[in-house]
Amino acid sequence: MLTVQNLNKTFRTPAGDVHAVRDVTFHAKNGEMVAIIGASGSGKSTLLALLGLLDAPDQGSIDVDGVELANLDSAGRTKYRSQKVGFVFQAFNLIPNLTARENVLLALEYAHWPKAERAARADEMLSLVGLSGEKVDRRPNRLSGGEQQRVAIARAFAPQPDLILADEPTGSLDKSTGQKIVELLRHTASSQQATVLVVTHDDKVARQADRRLEIDDGALAEIA
Amino acid sequence: MNSLRRGIRNAFRNSMRSVGVVVILAVAIALSISMLIARDAVTTKINNVRSSTGTTITISPKGFFGFSGGGTPLKAASIDDLLTLKNVVSVQESLSEELSSSTTNLKSPTPTGSLGRQFGANSSTSGNSNFTGRGNFTIPVRVIGTNSPGTALVGGANGGGTEKLTSGASFSATSHADVAVVGADLASKNKLKVGSTFTAYGTTITVVGIYNSGSSFADSDVLMPLATVQSLAKATGDVTDATVSVNNVNNVASVSKAVTAKIGSSADVTSTEATTEAELAPLNSVKTISTYTLIGAIIGAAIILLLSMLMIVRERRREVGVLKALGAPNRSIIGQFIAESTTFTVLGAIVGFVVGAALSSPIASALVSTTSNANTSNQTGFIRGGRGSFTGGASGFTPPSGGNFRSGAFRPTSLHNTFDTLHTSVGWSTLTYAVLIAIVIAAIGSTVATATIVRIRPAEVLRSE
Repeated sequence: MLTVQNLNKTFRTPAGDVHAVRDVTFHAKNGEMVAIIGASGSGKSTLLALLGLLDAPDQGSIDVDGVELANLDSAGRTKYRSQKVGFVFQAFNLIPNLTARENVLLALEYAHWPKAERAARADEMLSLVGLSGEKVDRRPNRLSGGEQQRVAIARAFAPQPDLILADEPTGSLDKSTGQKIVELLRHTASSQQATVLVVTHDDKVARQADRRLEIDDGALAEIA
Repeated sequence: MNSLRRGIRNAFRNSMRSVGVVVILAVAIALSISMLIARDAVTTKINNVRSSTGTTITISPKGFFGFSGGGTPLKAASIDDLLTLKNVVSVQESLSEELSSSTTNLKSPTPTGSLGRQFGANSSTSGNSNFTGRGNFTIPVRVIGTNSPGTALVGGANGGGTEKLTSGASFSATSHADVAVVGADLASKNKLKVGSTFTAYGTTITVVGIYNSGSSFADSDVLMPLATVQSLAKATGDVTDATVSVNNVNNVASVSKAVTAKIGSSADVTSTEATTEAELAPLNSVKTISTYTLIGAIIGAAIILLLSMLMIVRERRREVGVLKALGAPNRSIIGQFIAESTTFTVLGAIVGFVVGAALSSPIASALVSTTSNANTSNQTGFIRGGRGSFTGGASGFTPPSGGNFRSGAFRPTSLHNTFDTLHTSVGWSTLTYAVLIAIVIAAIGSTVATATIVRIRPAEVLRSE
C-alpha cells in the first residue's frame, strides 16, 4: 500500500520559485496500476522522482507498507531504491555493455538478492516478459526497442519491489509494442502484487490503468 | 559480476579510446621509468666517484707547485698533528727533491726536448745546476721520500697508467734504510735491477723494487723512505707535500677548514672535493633533469588519466544516475570507475615498464653525453699541466705524497671517460617504484571522477530524458 500525503516540492530558479508538486495526496493498493497523466512540465516526473526517493520532498510524507520514507537516511534511501522500488524509463536506460541477463542480475546484486538464486530469478523474469533463448545474452544494441523495454521491466520487477515507477514507458515505442508493454506492466504488477504508477501523457495508455490521476501545475486530482 | 569486474570490463568498452589512453599512459610511464633508472644509475656513479676521489686533502707549502714557485717546507711535526683531527683517517707525507748530475749517478730517461730546454732555461735563472748552457740542459731525476709507499705503489688506475710493482718489494713506511723503489723507465735507462745500487747525496742506495705505471713521467722517479730522504738531503723534519685522507666525502669540507685553521697561512690546502664536484656537474645535471622529468611525467600521466576518466564519467552521467536509481551505493559506483582507471594504469605501466627499461640506457647515455659535452666546453681553463705536475686521473687513484702529484692537475677528460661506463639496471626497487608510480597515477586520476560521481543525483536520470 502506497500512501502519499501533502507532498510538496519547490525548485528555486533564477526566474523565481517553481512549485513543481503542490500538496499531493493519494494512495494506491498493492497490485493496482495507477496512471498519472499531465502535460509536459506539469510535475509528473518530479512526483515520480519524489516517490522513488531520487529526490527529497520539501514537505509531506510517503508511506510504503507502513514504512515512512521521509525518515530514511542516505543508506536507507539507497536500500529502499534497491529493494522496494523499481524504475521503468522511457529511454529504457539499460547498461549498454551488459547483456539482457546481466542487466537484470545487476538489479538483483544491488538488492542483495541471494547470490545462488540470482541467475534463476533473472531467467524467470526475462521469461515472464517474453525473452528467452539466445536473446537474453544479447546486449541492448542488438535488441529491438520493445525487447529493451521488456528487459527494463524484468529488471524493475526482479527484486520483487513493492512499487514500480514507470516514466512514459511507451514513449519510445510504436503503438502496437506500447500496447503490449502496458499489458505486460499490468499483468506483472498483478502477479507480483506490486503497485505500479505509470506517468504518461497518452490517454490510451492511461485508460488501461485501474485508476487515473491528473496532475496540473503540480496539483493532483483523481479522474472519474 | 561485482564492481571490480564491471570496471575492468568497462575499460575495454570503447577499444579505440582504451588503446589511446593506454598508449599515452605507457609513453608517460616509460619516460618515468627510464628517468628513474637513469637517475639511479647516475646517483650510483656519483656516489662511486665521490667515494673514490673526493676524500683527500692536499697540503703544500704556500706558493709551491711541483718544483716551481717558492715557499718554505712544511714541518712533519705539525703535519703529524693533523691525525688528531676528527674524521681524519690517515696523513701521508712526502719530501720531493731533484737529483742533479752532481748528487747522483743516475740519468733521467726523459728526453730533454724543446720543452725541457725551455723549462731548463727558465730554471737557470733560479740556479738550476743541470743547466750548462742552452742545448746542454739535462732533466734531473726526481726522488720522492714517502711514508706511505704502499699507497704510492699500489694505487688504482690513473691517467698515466697503473702503478704496479713489477719486481722486488717495497719498503716500510717508517724505514730509515738506504733503499729505493725505482720507476721502470729509470731502471731501464740506468740498467738497474732489484739488488742494484746507485749513488745519491754521496750515499749508496740499494734498489729493492721496480714499478711500472705506464706513464713515462711517473716511471722516471725514485721512491725512497721519507726519513732517508730527509736525512740525506739535510732536510730533517721537512715535508713538501701531505695528503690527508678523510673518512667520508661529506666531511671533506669541514676537515679542510680544520686543516687550514691548524696549519695556518703558510700552506696551500686544497681538497679534491671542489674539483670532483666540478667534474660531477654533468652527472648532477642529469640527475636533476631526470628527477624533474620523472616528476613531470608522473604528473602528466596522472593528468591524462584524470581528464580521460572525467570525460568517461561525464559521458556516462546518465548511466551513473541509472545505477543510483537501481540502488547502487556510491562506493560501488566509485569502485567500478577506480577499477577502470586502474586497469588503464596497469596496462600502461606494463607496456611503459618494458619500454622504459629498454630505453633507459640510451636515454641516460644521451643525457650524460649532452650535458658532459656542454660542461667540458666550459671547463677547458681548468686543465693544468706542465713540468712538475701530475696528469693523473680521478677514478680510484690515490695520489702519492709527492710534489709532482697534484690534485689540481686532474684532467676533466679522465672523469668523462668514467661517464661512458654508466650502467643502468632494473632491480626490485625500480619495480617497486614503478608500482608506486602506477598507484599514484591511478589514485590522482580517479579523484576528480570520484568527486563527480558523488555529485551526480539519481534524479538526473529522469531530468535528462
